[in-house]
Amino acid sequence: MVQYSYFPGCNLKTNAKGFEETAIAVSKKLNVELVEIPNWNCCGTVHTMTSDNIMKRIAPVRVLSRSKKHIETLEESPNQVVTLCSMCNSTLKIVSKEVSDNQDTLDKINYQLEDDELTYENDIEVKHFLEILRDSVGYEGISKKVVKPLKGLKVSPYYGCMLLHPEEAKIDDEEMPDVLESLVESLGAELVMSPLFKYCCGSYHIVDQENIVSSQVEKIVEAATRRGANALVVACPLCSYNIDQQQKAMAKESAGFKPIPIFYFTQLMALAMGEPVKINHFKEHFINPEPLLKELGLIGRKKTK
Amino acid sequence: MSYEYIKFGKEEREFRQKIEEISGENIFSCYQCGKCSAGCMFSDKMDRTVNQQILRIQLGQKEKVLSANTHWVCASCLTCSVRCPRDIDVAAIMEAIREYTLREEPEKIKISELPKKVLEKLPNIALVANFRKKTG
Repeated sequence: MVQYSYFPGCNLKTNAKGFEETAIAVSKKLNVELVEIPNWNCCGTVHTMTSDNIMKRIAPVRVLSRSKKHIETLEESPNQVVTLCSMCNSTLKIVSKEVSDNQDTLDKINYQLEDDELTYENDIEVKHFLEILRDSVGYEGISKKVVKPLKGLKVSPYYGCMLLHPEEAKIDDEEMPDVLESLVESLGAELVMSPLFKYCCGSYHIVDQENIVSSQVEKIVEAATRRGANALVVACPLCSYNIDQQQKAMAKESAGFKPIPIFYFTQLMALAMGEPVKINHFKEHFINPEPLLKELGLIGRKKTK
Repeated sequence: MSYEYIKFGKEEREFRQKIEEISGENIFSCYQCGKCSAGCMFSDKMDRTVNQQILRIQLGQKEKVLSANTHWVCASCLTCSVRCPRDIDVAAIMEAIREYTLREEPEKIKISELPKKVLEKLPNIALVANFRKKTG
């Protein structure tokens, strides 16, 4: 069993519990165990694009140095920290590239980290769990573990921005990605392509400019459903929240609108691999996926071990 | 028909230089192809498009730049930055306009005035990201 140092990020502990629990469950099945970093802190969520603000870069570097310490205690661990949240992924990757290009910035940050008895030496790689699945496990390894192919589920992948942007953080080609597509196919689900696969959901505008988010979500969902999708697969807790919650509001407003459930890619994996349904935390979704899954015979009727 | 004269004085230059300093980008790299605005998924909600804002920074028209809502509608999805044929980090320029404002008036959003209901239901990443973008 290869052990990875795993950085959860704040949301996986609050409203994306299903994401984390399913990821840990399937990672054990695939022999790539995710072990959480002890005493991690928030990475700052969004990366600062200013050239002169070092303060906003301290938190992610602290995460990297804590992860380095953590790796030393793990067995057979490659020098990599794994994230599930795509915003954490992008923030950590960008900052690690920045400090490796700029020794001066790193020295200043390390000076700030002295109080925590930490230093960072540019010696760790940041990976998204999808990259581990693609590069270390392989889609074949995943489909071998599938016990219940997701027949009848027509899934449209939605990447959001942070998995593909910017250059330093992308996990796949920014205009023609295929990692979620291949994953969905290896789980036996039907793939539905949508042109709005990285059409930004409005992100943090949900706090004070909800109208922006709702108009974005409407387009994203419409593009997917028009092509026959009955579910979306995402990798970002904020995309998931925005699309899920806005759909519920839209369904309330107009009777003609048909919402579709949102899945994290690890939830689909857990379903296909026959993990218990309760680790998905479907009750916390705004659009409950259970009726659809029952209709397709993917949960409920037959008991699987 | 009335004409508006373009001024190139100290004030104009200083504004432009400050934006360049914060973003770390050369604003004159832009040749106004408009690809950033064409690919921007929020263009329809902006009162000035992204390339128009860049042109105005080139001209140093501070008031016009700051009075548009463009940089506050931008959600930093970075599509413009990865597509720019001149390799400008366009989103960093939008961030620089935000920062320019926030360094003078640090509260675009007043956290204490947000209803408790909103704070409780929203995911932490939405709140942290929003406060990092909209407070100084």
